[in-house]
Amino acid sequence: MNVHISTLNDFTVVEVHGRVDTISASEFETRLLAVIESGASKIVLNCQGLDYISSSGLRVFLIAQKKIVAAKGQLKLCCLQPTIKEIFDISGFSSIFSISADLETATKT
Amino acid sequence: MEKEENIKSLKLQNKLEELETISVFLEELAEIWDIPLALTMSLNLVLEEAFTNVVNYAYTDQDLHSIGIDFEKTGNILSIKIIDDGKAYDPTQNADPDVTLSAEERSIGGLGIFLIRKMMDEVTYQRADNKNILMMTKKLTFGS
Repeated sequence: MNVHISTLNDFTVVEVHGRVDTISASEFETRLLAVIESGASKIVLNCQGLDYISSSGLRVFLIAQKKIVAAKGQLKLCCLQPTIKEIFDISGFSSIFSISADLETATKT
Repeated sequence: MEKEENIKSLKLQNKLEELETISVFLEELAEIWDIPLALTMSLNLVLEEAFTNVVNYAYTDQDLHSIGIDFEKTGNILSIKIIDDGKAYDPTQNADPDVTLSAEERSIGGLGIFLIRKMMDEVTYQRADNKNILMMTKKLTFGS
């Protein structure tokens, strides 16, 4: 698992690569929460490079969403691979998150 | 002889590091049995959830335990059996999480077993000889 952070328009873009599973979820959680705690209120999670996610990873997405909602910020996801999108659909996470097909759309508003 | 090639077994220790062993094994199995990539990922997810639950919750001692995973391919049906000697636990009796709740209402966790049940065609549980046996089947579908 790798995380890369950049900015685009008003958004902090967090790119996640590889696997977010039982082993790597806590590191991903630390990285993502650090971004939220640094005060970023508009965040896009770019999942283009996310190849695999398990429930430990979904848990981190949910924690981040809860924190951002509580802080009246915005968390958007973009670029989910079809297999990842399927897991989001099954878990009901597709209706929890604002998901865009591409980064451009996600960072527009 | 033919039949034996359709059975593969893994013996693992109750350590989360073994998840890597499972992934590597699945990739090899996918090649031998021609399992599509998306399905291999689903199987990896299912095994990760089930194995992690056993390692984290099944044992009340600090000892090393052996967890077995058997794979069998019969026609286009893949059967997977996970056998552990932990305390009795039937995941098929777990209540489903409410997947229609909002982020604020959703509780963190409880998704693993739900994902297993959604990803597999059939999930059954048996307790025999002081062991938990979780049996799962999935139809192997090919093509685009």
